[in-house]
Amino acid sequence: MSTLSGSRWGAAGPSTLDPERVRGGGLGDALRAYLAAVRLGWATEANWTDPFLFFIYSVAKPVSAALILVVMVEIVGGEAGRAFRGYVVTGSALWSFVIAGISGLAWSVLDDRERYRMLRYLYVSPASFALLLVGRGTARLTVGAMGALITLAVGVVVLGLPLDPGRVDWPLLGVAMVGGLVAIVVIGILMAAVCLQTRQDSWSYPEAVAGSLFLVSGAVFPLAVLPQAVQLVGLATPLTWWLAGVRLALFPDGPSVVGGEGSAWALLSGSTAPTSVDIALALLTTGALATLAAAAVFRWSEHRARERGLIDQTSGS
Amino acid sequence: MTLAELPAAIEARGIRRIYAARPTPVVALDGIDLDVPAGEFFGLLGPNGAGKTTLIKILTTLLGPSEGWARVFGFDVVRQAKQIRRIMNMVAGGEQSGYGILTVREQLWMFSQFYGLPGRDGWRRVDELIELVGLEEQRNQRVSTLSTGQRQKLNVARGLLNDPWILFLDEPTLGLDVSAARALRALVVEWQRAVPGRTILLTTHYMAEADELCDRIAIVDRGRILAIGSPAELRRLVRRESIFRLEVDHLDGGPAVLAGLPGVVTATAAARDDGTAMPGADADQRVAVNLVLADDAALAGVVGALGQLGSRILALRKAEPTLEDVFVELVGRGFDEEAVDHPPDEVEPAPAVPPSAHGPGAPEAREVAR
Ligand SMILES: Nc1ncnc2c1ncn2[C@@H]1O[C@H](COP(=O)(O)OP(=O)(O)OP(=O)(O)O)[C@@H](O)[C@H]1O
Ligand SMILES: [Mg+2]
Repeated sequence: MSTLSGSRWGAAGPSTLDPERVRGGGLGDALRAYLAAVRLGWATEANWTDPFLFFIYSVAKPVSAALILVVMVEIVGGEAGRAFRGYVVTGSALWSFVIAGISGLAWSVLDDRERYRMLRYLYVSPASFALLLVGRGTARLTVGAMGALITLAVGVVVLGLPLDPGRVDWPLLGVAMVGGLVAIVVIGILMAAVCLQTRQDSWSYPEAVAGSLFLVSGAVFPLAVLPQAVQLVGLATPLTWWLAGVRLALFPDGPSVVGGEGSAWALLSGSTAPTSVDIALALLTTGALATLAAAAVFRWSEHRARERGLIDQTSGS
Repeated sequence: MTLAELPAAIEARGIRRIYAARPTPVVALDGIDLDVPAGEFFGLLGPNGAGKTTLIKILTTLLGPSEGWARVFGFDVVRQAKQIRRIMNMVAGGEQSGYGILTVREQLWMFSQFYGLPGRDGWRRVDELIELVGLEEQRNQRVSTLSTGQRQKLNVARGLLNDPWILFLDEPTLGLDVSAARALRALVVEWQRAVPGRTILLTTHYMAEADELCDRIAIVDRGRILAIGSPAELRRLVRRESIFRLEVDHLDGGPAVLAGLPGVVTATAAARDDGTAMPGADADQRVAVNLVLADDAALAGVVGALGQLGSRILALRKAEPTLEDVFVELVGRGFDEEAVDHPPDEVEPAPAVPPSAHGPGAPEAREVAR
């Protein structure tokens, strides 16, 4: 018993309550909590223990999705479709990353509340709730990124995509990937906030939202084919600019996601296609706006969940 | 910080909590006022649905109050949740929670990190706690393979990880066998006594548990505190009445037939002295009854009635009131009759509670003089 009457956390020490405790440990504590949540997410992904399932979900699925799209586009578009190969493969590959990231975050709420019934204990720990959720979702995010990379590699090797490392715009690629990652996490947090509110199972929400973003952010076809109003929605989505940045960085000669004759972008900016600086700035702006929106929604959601007792409410027993 | 400088472990005023349930909203807490000084082992005793868990959820920052306010060690449960979370922990009984895929050690370590323990200290503390709760053999076993009792031990270890100033225990011995429950009680008592100021708020259905562990107890029913005091003080509430323990060879209609007799306050079934079975359930039909009488004289009427019913008295003795008697008197009978039975001069109202806090016509909590 004496072993427990410790100082801050040690074995022996003063036999009083330590007022230092109320202060907490700042960044160090936050990092520790985040890393533990990452490990937790990693461990609870049951797929890890089954390499076959792991392969199916994180490699076979995104690769085959990309190939199917390529075939479809080329049947419909013929020679013109062929020029879109790089475009389609990148879009499809990155999209598996989006789905994995968003659902990873949102599902951590559902998993911990419904399946493990531990959400209440995570919630009443001093660690930041949002940070723990991001940590929980990091494993899926990482697997999604791996799937995207493998899909791209398959595209280059099997489909002969014209990827020339010498011509890749590395700075733009770096900016785009960081911005895109932030955008995915932010949208994931937003979906986690939504899932916190739902009483019924809402496992399919993240994919549904990712699916609708898929249409407006130019993942498989340029925005220009959409009605002007929908194009504007696309231009306000950071994912659009992330895709545009990655494509321009990897395939400088390929078709542009957002530009084109008569596109909303052309009408707004007066130029047919955005430059890499335009893209970086747009990604930064839309990313910052999305972050603000997600932070506000998450705070509201957490507040409401506490008001209504949703944090430990399961839909089952 | 000395004990005297510490703010109250719990201070709550006018807490109401209404759940927006269908078809009608549920009033789970209806004006709770509570003061628990640091260092106290405090119990909440009440029937199912009394609002005990709801109060714990509010104090542990899991749920917001609909009205009123509460502070834990001086921190407001709504606005200063972060601070409270650093010095508080909770353990609920009868739960099937846990990350099944992790081992006992891993799950505890995970939480040590959420509480900001440095890595190596975290592992050391995890191992200490595993030993303390007696999970050494299971330390590398997956959580999903633990028995109910082992899971509860794990839960308790998690609750002690951050060495809380205040520990909330919501029916912690639910589902445990007798010896496991006893071990757990001994553990938390020892833990609490080891450092002055450590506070425990326990909810339970088990009178004996509350009686044994708690410095003070609040009896709660339908979202209200009916009485607060030490177990001895609470027992004194019914002392002015006479309590008898009666055993008869049979009793047609059960204890209820005695309840209507003049001078009988309550007549409820009791476990028989030999503890063999619940009354009336066995073949020999013997029945044990706890009788609370307005005064000893009423006994004559009961004996007479038993004669008319053809019941033979096997044993009869005067008993000291138990917490159960207090509970039956306060809760079992409903408070409206209660207020009539005990004129206001016998009831000392809780000084901190203005009558208006309860709304018009609402009963007062009985604060027993210490
Ligand atoms: N989420 C909820 N929605 C609606 N009503 C609720 C909710 N949670 C609790 N209640 C109601 O509030 C009342 C108090 O419940 P609470 O769980 O606090 O009781 P308790 O004293 O802990 O009971 P028990 O001893 O059975 O655990 C009950 O009537 C219950 O039905
Ligand atoms: Mg309860």
